[in-house]
Amino acid sequence: MMEIRVDGRRVTLARGMTVRHALIAAGALERVLAGARVIDTWGSEVGLDGALDDGDTLRIVERAGPR
Amino acid sequence: MFAHVAAVLAALLILLVPPARAGQEHLRILHLNDFHGFARPHQPPGAAEPLGGIAYLAARVQALRAGQPTLLLAAGDMIQGHNWANLTRGAAVIETMNAMGFDAMALGNHELDFGQPALAERAREARFPFLAANVEGLDPVRPYIVRTLGGVRVAVIGLATPETPQATHPGNVAGLRFEDPALTLRRLLPELRRQSDLVVVLAHLGHAAERRLAQEVEGIDVLIGGHSHTRVAEPPTIAGTLLAQAWEHGKALGVIDLTVEDGRVVGAVGRLEEIRPAGAPQPEVEAIVARWDARAQEVLGQRVGEAGADLDVRNARSAETNFGNLVADLLRRTAGADAALFNGGALRAGIRRGTVKAGDIYTALPFDNYLVAVRMSGRQLLAALEHGVAAVERRDGRFPQVSGLSFSYAPAAAPGARVRQVRVGGAALEPARTYVVATLDFLAAGGDGYAGFGEAIRSGGDFESVGGAVSGSAIAYSDPGRWLRDLLIEYWQRQGTLAPGLEGRIVEVE
Repeated sequence: MMEIRVDGRRVTLARGMTVRHALIAAGALERVLAGARVIDTWGSEVGLDGALDDGDTLRIVERAGPR
Repeated sequence: MFAHVAAVLAALLILLVPPARAGQEHLRILHLNDFHGFARPHQPPGAAEPLGGIAYLAARVQALRAGQPTLLLAAGDMIQGHNWANLTRGAAVIETMNAMGFDAMALGNHELDFGQPALAERAREARFPFLAANVEGLDPVRPYIVRTLGGVRVAVIGLATPETPQATHPGNVAGLRFEDPALTLRRLLPELRRQSDLVVVLAHLGHAAERRLAQEVEGIDVLIGGHSHTRVAEPPTIAGTLLAQAWEHGKALGVIDLTVEDGRVVGAVGRLEEIRPAGAPQPEVEAIVARWDARAQEVLGQRVGEAGADLDVRNARSAETNFGNLVADLLRRTAGADAALFNGGALRAGIRRGTVKAGDIYTALPFDNYLVAVRMSGRQLLAALEHGVAAVERRDGRFPQVSGLSFSYAPAAAPGARVRQVRVGGAALEPARTYVVATLDFLAAGGDGYAGFGEAIRSGGDFESVGGAVSGSAIAYSDPGRWLRDLLIEYWQRQGTLAPGLEGRIVEVE
C-alpha cells in the first residue's frame, strides 16, 4: 500500500493506483476536473493518470489563468 | 506554402545551432512518454485550449531534427489507454511511431496490458527496439542499444518499473522477473561505458524513483523518464545527470540539447515544448491517425452479441437492476470473488433488447474503470452496503449493484441503520469473516464516499509479488490495464446472448 498526502491530508491507496485515485480518496477530484492543477513534491505539474510513489506529496493549485 | 516556410525555418535553425568547435559535437534528443494513444488534440480539464495531437507533435519533431544529429525516444506507456489505441491493441500507435522514426522505446507497465503475445506482435511491427534491461523472460525486449550520432557513440538503456506486476493483470507478467533498476544499471554501466561516449537511461519508473536513481548511480549522462506523467518544465541536473520527463498524452515534447567534447558531455540543456493543434500537421502521420480513427469507428460498430432483454439503467441508483446484476456478476466471476459491489452511477445508458454493438457498451460504460478485488471483513462489507443505501432518496450514484450477496434494507430508517438481512453465498453475513469483494477502482479508492475499501487496504498491509503473480493481504485482484467496458465486450462475445433478470438481490422492506 502507499501513503500519499493531498494538500496535507493523508490517504492510503493500493500500489499501482494513480494521482486520480489519490484525489478521489481525498475528495478533491472535482476541483481538479473543474480546472485546478496537481503539483508534486518538486513543484512540477502531474497528470491524473500519473503513477505514485509511497510518501508522495501532492498539492492542488487553482489555475491563475489560461495556460 | 507550408513546405516553403518550413524549409526557410529549417535553414534558419541550422544557422542558429552553435558551430561545433574542433572535437565538439551538438546532439539533440527528443522524447515523449505516457502517450497512451491520445492521437487527437484534446482539451484537458481547466486548459484554455486543446493540447496535443500526434500529427502536430510529429511536425515539430521533423522541424527540430533538421540540421543536427537527433535521437527520438519514448519512455514507455505508449500503446494502451485511449480507445484509439486500445481497439487495435496498440497497432495504431506502433504504425505512427514507425512513421515518426522513433529510435527506441522503454517498456512501460501498460505495454504488457494486452498480454505477452500481443506485445511480441507489436515488437515485430515496430521498426525500433523495445528496451528493458531489468526484465528477464521477455523475448521481444532488448536491454540497450548503441547508436553513433555525429561521431558520438550514444548508449540508450531501458528500465521498466519493478512495480509492473502490481500495475497489470498477473497473467500478463507470468514468467517475468523484474530486477531493481539500480542493480541492473550498476551491473551494465561498465559495459555501456566501454561501448559508448554517452549513456542515456530511458526509464519508466516515475519521477521520484528517477530522482533517486540519478542520485544513487554515478555515470548516467541523461535520464529520460515516464510513468508519473510529470511535466518537468525545466529539467534539473542531479549528481551530474540531466533528468527529464515530458508530461503525458502528447501534450508536450521534450527537447534535450547536448554538447559533447572529446567523448564527454560538456553541456546539457533540456526543455519542454507544449504541442498545440496549430500550423500544419505532419501529413503522413495525420493520414495514419485518420485511417485508424476510421478503423476504431468500424470496431465500435461491430456486433458483440444479442441482448435478450432491455438492460435497465433508469433504476440503477435506487434498486436492483438487470444491467447491474450482469456487470456485478462479471466482476465477481472474473475476480473469483465471494461477492461484488459497484456503484449504480457507473452505468450511464441502458441497452435495448436486440443486437448489441461495441459502441453501445462504450456508451453505457464510458468511464475508464477497472476491476479490483479487496479482502475485507463482513463488518466492512456491511458498512459499505449501509453507505450505499444511505442516500437512496436522492437517487445518488453510490447506490450498490451487487452479486454473490443479497440484502434487504428499510429506506425509511435513518441513514447508517437501514440494512437488515445480508446473505453472502447463501449464508448469513459473518461480521468477523474475511470476504473477497470485487469492485471498481473508483470505489476501492474511496469514490462516492465508500471508505470501507480504503480501510481494508490500510489494515491489510502490502502487496507481495511472487514469480510474477500478485498477492497481498488486502488486494486479491487488480487489472488496471483492462477497462470494465472491454471486459464486458469480451464476455458478451463469448456468451452470444445475455438476458439478465432480477433475482431479489436487493429488497426494500418497511
